[in-house]
Amino acid sequence: MKEKKASNYISIRESRKIIKYNIKMMRYYEKLKRRKLAESDYTVKMRDENNIVEIDGLKTCFFTDNGTVMSVNGVSFDIPKNKIIGVVGESGCGKSVTSLSIMQLVQAPQGQVVEGQIRFNSDAAGVSEDGKKLGYDIAKMPTKEMYKIRGKDITMIFQEPMTSLNPVFTIGYQLDEVTLLHDKSATKASAKAYSIELLKKVGISMPEHVYKSYPHELSGGMRQRVMIAMAISGHPKLIIADEPTTALDVTIQAQILELLRELQRSEGCSIMLITHDLGVIAEMADEVVVMYAGKVIEHGTAEEIFFNPKHPYTIGLQKSKPLLSSDANKPLYSIPGQVPNPINLPDACYFKNRCDKCMGKCRAKYPDTIELSDTHSVACYLYGGETSDSAETAEHGSSETQASENTENVQQG
Amino acid sequence: MFKYIVKRLLLSVIILIGVSFIIYALVRMMPMNYIEIKYASQLSQGTITQKQINDFMDLYGLNDSVLVGYFNWLGGLLTGDLGNSFKYERPVATVIGDYMWISFAIAIIATLLQFLIAIPLGISSATHQYSVRDYTVTVLTMVGLSFPTYFFAAIVIRVFSVELGWLPSGGLVNPGVDYEMTFAGQMAKFGDMAYHLILPILVSVVLSVGGLMRYTRTNTLEVLNADYIRTARAKGLSERTVIYKHAFRNTLIPLATLLAGIIPGLFGGMMITEEVFAIDGIGRLAYRALREGDIPFVMGYNMFLAILTVIGTLFSDIMYAVVDPRVKLTK
Repeated sequence: MKEKKASNYISIRESRKIIKYNIKMMRYYEKLKRRKLAESDYTVKMRDENNIVEIDGLKTCFFTDNGTVMSVNGVSFDIPKNKIIGVVGESGCGKSVTSLSIMQLVQAPQGQVVEGQIRFNSDAAGVSEDGKKLGYDIAKMPTKEMYKIRGKDITMIFQEPMTSLNPVFTIGYQLDEVTLLHDKSATKASAKAYSIELLKKVGISMPEHVYKSYPHELSGGMRQRVMIAMAISGHPKLIIADEPTTALDVTIQAQILELLRELQRSEGCSIMLITHDLGVIAEMADEVVVMYAGKVIEHGTAEEIFFNPKHPYTIGLQKSKPLLSSDANKPLYSIPGQVPNPINLPDACYFKNRCDKCMGKCRAKYPDTIELSDTHSVACYLYGGETSDSAETAEHGSSETQASENTENVQQG
Repeated sequence: MFKYIVKRLLLSVIILIGVSFIIYALVRMMPMNYIEIKYASQLSQGTITQKQINDFMDLYGLNDSVLVGYFNWLGGLLTGDLGNSFKYERPVATVIGDYMWISFAIAIIATLLQFLIAIPLGISSATHQYSVRDYTVTVLTMVGLSFPTYFFAAIVIRVFSVELGWLPSGGLVNPGVDYEMTFAGQMAKFGDMAYHLILPILVSVVLSVGGLMRYTRTNTLEVLNADYIRTARAKGLSERTVIYKHAFRNTLIPLATLLAGIIPGLFGGMMITEEVFAIDGIGRLAYRALREGDIPFVMGYNMFLAILTVIGTLFSDIMYAVVDPRVKLTK
């Protein structure tokens, strides 16, 4: 307890130092954003032309009064064409901030993308001289250019359908707005016809009526359908769905997910599905990215993650999922402990205090990502370097007792 | 909507009757007595007796009890008679009717300017939160807000009339000029009036802009953090459209409530401004009537403010329904 208090306590002098540092950094990054860039400055080569988005070493941090929070701390993964990528992790692990970084919607000036590339495979970027597909680096792109991508090539569906639509404009107006903005040839009449068609497409039964309605006249599920209609209106390449079903009741959840999958197939786009519901991921995703404290800790196909999870955190997540076959009288498993304080994380495995297979070297340095197969990678010492040693621990590591010990440690500490 | 308005108007009649009684009781409790003030010097010189003063008080109805006095006043009101002003010796309704237009003109111009200045300032200071601009605007408007009217008016007169000599220090028209009754003459008179009104309007705008600006700033900050603003940005709308279309409409909703109090509030504040700048508006007349205990005129003036307040509230409720589709005026 003492240690924890000491780490949370900030003296006035320290606090002043932090504020000074924050102002300096925020000014620096805001200035960086405002500088004039030619198109060639943010045009980059795609590693693989079949990827829509390649995130490479992305770091996004928030300059808070308590210190700098690395919300996304070196995340790398690809979003291939025509796939659904699931991103799982608990609250505060950086899932949403990763998606907002792709959209350049991180709350500025506190939140800034400080490092890394987000390569977006845009048709407009063309092909380089040596035949490689070119893309734009969203992390560097000027906001003005980003307006053309947002809402057209990359769109977003938010978690809270009840508050995501502007209460003072009609559904029709808000839908038309996207069409009129991105399609220069659209007229008011054609936009209206298209909006009604979109509403039909997302399964709204009285599109003409809904077109004239205000958001407060619709139910949560309907509003989320409207959000989806808005998201597909520009034939996007990537839809980011940030916990699209969390606020909806279970029957509607299934319908919305079904709709998303159908649209993904018919529109031929990719979906980055952010959720903390493993059931949703299992049903929808082709590939799964597991995040913990701002880092990707495991990445693989859905089969690999579900049938052959490697990282102790992923295993813990699987265990904490309620099953029909599980004993209702027994308490559900939960991973002991809490997510570490994201300020000034030490260079060690962030999961070490909660892990039942924790070893000495976990406390020394953050583990490298280890490729288990072409598609499966994990950041854990259990599978890296001295394989014999760690495999043994994994098999014999009388996990029950160690886990309970760890729980006690966490509670005391 | 129509039904709602009719219902509200009928309700406001009841409210106004209640208000009028309270005002009458308060006015009668004022320590000034018109007759005593008027004849004080004659009484001390002995040219008038206490008996005569008492007779005068009977004549003016100042010896009646509050209840009797009130019902006399109300009875007059029902026949459309607000009574005769003691001081101005004319029917109250005529005096108010003659002098209210100039006050209205000042109030409406000041309100418009106030909105036109405060809202953009509030929005820009919210979108540049904690910047130099934000702090400058906040400090300046707060300085304006904290000045007492008479003090600020005195400073303005000192600077612009006495030292610089740019603008007149008071009055409505130049007393030395006789304007002809032709079109050109009247236009010249109008120009002269506008010239005389610059300072009073400046004073009332500077003093009231601060509150509205702070209100706009807070509202805008709240709206800009809303989810639908993020949605609007995610659509690819430019920051301008996001702020001035999606956020602005939502900022207006709470501002509509403010409309109710602004016009009567301005009239109240005008009392001192008009007195300082020697403009014969309704506020100045009321101020003088108040000092001399002119009961019918003070009653008339206060009822005028009460009616403005009731209409202002109704107007702001209607505006509320106009700017916010979630509000429906049906009951």
